Amino acid sequence: MKKRYLYLLLLPGLLFLTVFMIIPIFLTIGTTFINDHGFSIQGYLDFFKDRYFVEILLTTLRVSLFTTILCILLGFPAAYYISKLKQRKKAIMLLLTIFPLLTSPVVRSFSWMVIIGKNGVVNKVLLSIGLIEKPLDILYTPTAIIIGLVHLFLPLIIVTLVGVMENIETDLLKAAESLGASRLAVFSKVVIPLSVPGLVIGSILVFVGSFTAYTTPALLGGKQRVISTFLYQNAITLNEWQVASIVATIMIAVTVLIISIMNGLAKKLNPKG
Amino acid sequence: MALFTLQDISVAYNKQNILKDFNLEIEKGKLVSLLGPSGCGKTTTLRLIAGFLKANEGKFLFKDKDYTKVPVNKRNFGFVFQNYALFPHLSIFDNIAFGLRLRKNSKAEIEKKVMNVLEIVNLKGFEKRYPQELSGGQKQRVAIARALVIEPDILLFDEPLSNLDANLRVNMRVEIRRIQQELGITTVYVSHDQEECFSISDQVAIMNKGVIEQLSDPATIYKYPETKFVADFIGFKNFIDFDERTDTGGKIELSKSGYSFVLDKDARMFNHAGKIGAIRPDDLLIREKGDAGAVQENSLSGRVKVSTYLGRSYQYVVETPIGDFIVNKEMTESYRMGQEIILEIPRNQMVLVD
Amino acid sequence: MQEKNRGLGLFTLLVFLFLLGPLLIISVTSFEGGNILKFPPEELSLRWYENIFHVEMFLVAFKTSILVSLGGNLLALLLGVPAAYALSRVEFKGKSVINAVFVSPILVPGIVLGFAFLRYIVGTYQLPIYAALFVGHTVIMLPFIIRVISSSLSNFDFSIEEAAESLGASKLGTFFTVVLPNIKSGILAAVMIAFLESFNNVDISVYMTGPGVSTFPIQMLTYVENYFDPTISAISVLLMFITAFFMFMVERLMGLSYFTKR
Ligand SMILES: Nc1ncnc2c1ncn2[C@@H]1O[C@H](COP(=O)(O)OP(=O)(O)OP(=O)(O)O)[C@@H](O)[C@H]1O
Ligand SMILES: [Mg+2]
Repeated sequence: MKKRYLYLLLLPGLLFLTVFMIIPIFLTIGTTFINDHGFSIQGYLDFFKDRYFVEILLTTLRVSLFTTILCILLGFPAAYYISKLKQRKKAIMLLLTIFPLLTSPVVRSFSWMVIIGKNGVVNKVLLSIGLIEKPLDILYTPTAIIIGLVHLFLPLIIVTLVGVMENIETDLLKAAESLGASRLAVFSKVVIPLSVPGLVIGSILVFVGSFTAYTTPALLGGKQRVISTFLYQNAITLNEWQVASIVATIMIAVTVLIISIMNGLAKKLNPKG
Repeated sequence: MALFTLQDISVAYNKQNILKDFNLEIEKGKLVSLLGPSGCGKTTTLRLIAGFLKANEGKFLFKDKDYTKVPVNKRNFGFVFQNYALFPHLSIFDNIAFGLRLRKNSKAEIEKKVMNVLEIVNLKGFEKRYPQELSGGQKQRVAIARALVIEPDILLFDEPLSNLDANLRVNMRVEIRRIQQELGITTVYVSHDQEECFSISDQVAIMNKGVIEQLSDPATIYKYPETKFVADFIGFKNFIDFDERTDTGGKIELSKSGYSFVLDKDARMFNHAGKIGAIRPDDLLIREKGDAGAVQENSLSGRVKVSTYLGRSYQYVVETPIGDFIVNKEMTESYRMGQEIILEIPRNQMVLVD
Repeated sequence: MQEKNRGLGLFTLLVFLFLLGPLLIISVTSFEGGNILKFPPEELSLRWYENIFHVEMFLVAFKTSILVSLGGNLLALLLGVPAAYALSRVEFKGKSVINAVFVSPILVPGIVLGFAFLRYIVGTYQLPIYAALFVGHTVIMLPFIIRVISSSLSNFDFSIEEAAESLGASKLGTFFTVVLPNIKSGILAAVMIAFLESFNNVDISVYMTGPGVSTFPIQMLTYVENYFDPTISAISVLLMFITAFFMFMVERLMGLSYFTKR
């Protein structure tokens, strides 16, 4: 059967993406390997010699790592609890989780400015109960970024984990219990291993998302740069397009690296595929 | 005269021939069914006639015009799908009116034709419902009505009853035949249920691996299969590959490993050069050794090797010097395992096939 | 849930307090009567809601955002629906590569994508800012459109297409009379999801500001950098209403599983 016209239908979309995304991205990457004398990685060498940049890269990785760990620690138990709820309650809880997920990141990060700012809710409460004498400086620190990012990505990991945990059969848990496992043992020996695929996907989403997030560090980080704000600064404020391109390439490389490592890991851990 | 003809058609999927040098002629007003084992190319043939599929080689002639390149939507053939394929977003009325609207019928005409066809398929009063609200049998009738209402030149059915339960299947096939005859509409019907095909068809085409092995009316196929495949397919389970065949006068003499057999020559078999004898398990006779009525002719001495209880009858496997035979016998006639018997092949029950 | 899970329940409650508390707090601050954003508010009023409509730059940016998101959505549909349809109908060797290309705008970091757009679409291709915004938003909406519509096409029984053709419909006619009506809820959901994605986008839009051109979220960012009054709180509340509406719509159209499946 001839279905050639169907391939034709793919063409406009592919053409559009090629012209407006693939070419720009490849050119961005390509230009970083070229200087006046042809192929060169000098740009990168200079870059990694620069303490300031390395500092930013490490801070960003650290922030992303903390965010991911916190998201797992907070999200896993909550997701487990939600997945065990009855249909109606579960749906309500899921909607409450999805709502912040869909809400504008500007709104969400802004809300934390109100809470952890110098005159914010947290400082007011702590001051009034006499726990501290002068306001804490939380806003415009890496901590603020982490808080904002956890708030940004926690719903994502919860929703992903609930999706996976829903598929763990209740009978399996009952069977484990009938075999003499305590509730903690059921959790650690059955629930956690079976949730690993979801955990891996969720962690990738959170880590990569944190690593590349712009709005939250821009609002909550103040002068504290992370890689995305550094990229923006170079591109717009400093007009350093070569530097910006190198940063962009590094971000793509890290993203691809993390996704492929985690994907490999997920395949190993999940024999069902 | 043939209404349409498939001429030397070849169809291939992934370079593998599904139909090759396929020929079929169907006369106006006839119901022809395609019967054969799964994967033999029945659906492929039907989809080719419908125009869903293009042949790699060969021609499709309709009323002597070359229709090979005419697209599906210009053919005016009705197709009834196995899974009904009703439009879930349209009411029963709109499902049936779909083809009429495309043919720019007036509103009043559409109304009249839809109601009329609903009457034919016994579904009056269902026009406002949606497909999800119908039973399987009702859906199938809507599908038939939808195909009928455009007054198609050919009606094509692909296993239309296979999703229905046994009782409904019988009722529906009677219904399909009634409608087909009332309207005199040329129909090609695919099924792999033998009884279904035989009961409703004017002609049955037995297919095997992309080839029609035999095309005849049901009674002829049932009595006189022409090839070993057809014979086997319709229940001739015993085959004797004869060494020699001699046609003399009104008789045919056959021999196998020194045992000789005689058949009465019958008008149809006269033309036949086949040397393979085929006989149904029901048609073989068993006699006790030393039975007074035993005839010498066409008889072999044998031994009951296996006996299987089938509920209303027994099935025996009888071992003879020229091979094993399967024999079915009524409950009243039973034999022990290991019993020595005489097996008789009645003169008029064996057919010769290629 | 029995008593033994009380600890877990309490923990979950705290997690949700963390998730929803901040949104609740800014909602409350939007009703501030005074000039300074604080919690709890001193007196209550709706003046900051009124103020939104007096800030010219918000009105302009809102219009820009709506135009870009809706226009981009339309273009993404025109490109995405045929592609999703074709992908669901054919099997071929490089299909996974093609699929990967179509979802790649989600995988490339937004802030990088925005930069590449700025450098090449605005720079090299010389598209005006408005057009570049439009194109960029189309790129990021396309994967969502294709994903959602593909998933609704995967439940589509293609034999009804053949039925329509055998009744005399052309290929195009079949698509509009039979395929489209049956995937329209998927398309609607796709439009809403893509719209939210585009309307809330910062990473790309942040690069594409020019004289009088800027999207709504970018205007909010600019405003926050300069003023700290409850206008943004009031805007946030309005945005949350829109978000909630879209969320319920998508839930009705696709079910919750759209959000939990990865
Ligand atoms: N789209 C396809 N691609 C590749 N091979 C196909 C395709 N459709 C059918 N075939 C092959 O063509 C052969 C004939 O298929 P067809 O559907 O005509 O069989 P059929 O006689 O209708 O069988 P059944 O009784 O199971 O419906 C089969 O071997 C099948 O595997
Ligand atoms: Mg078939």
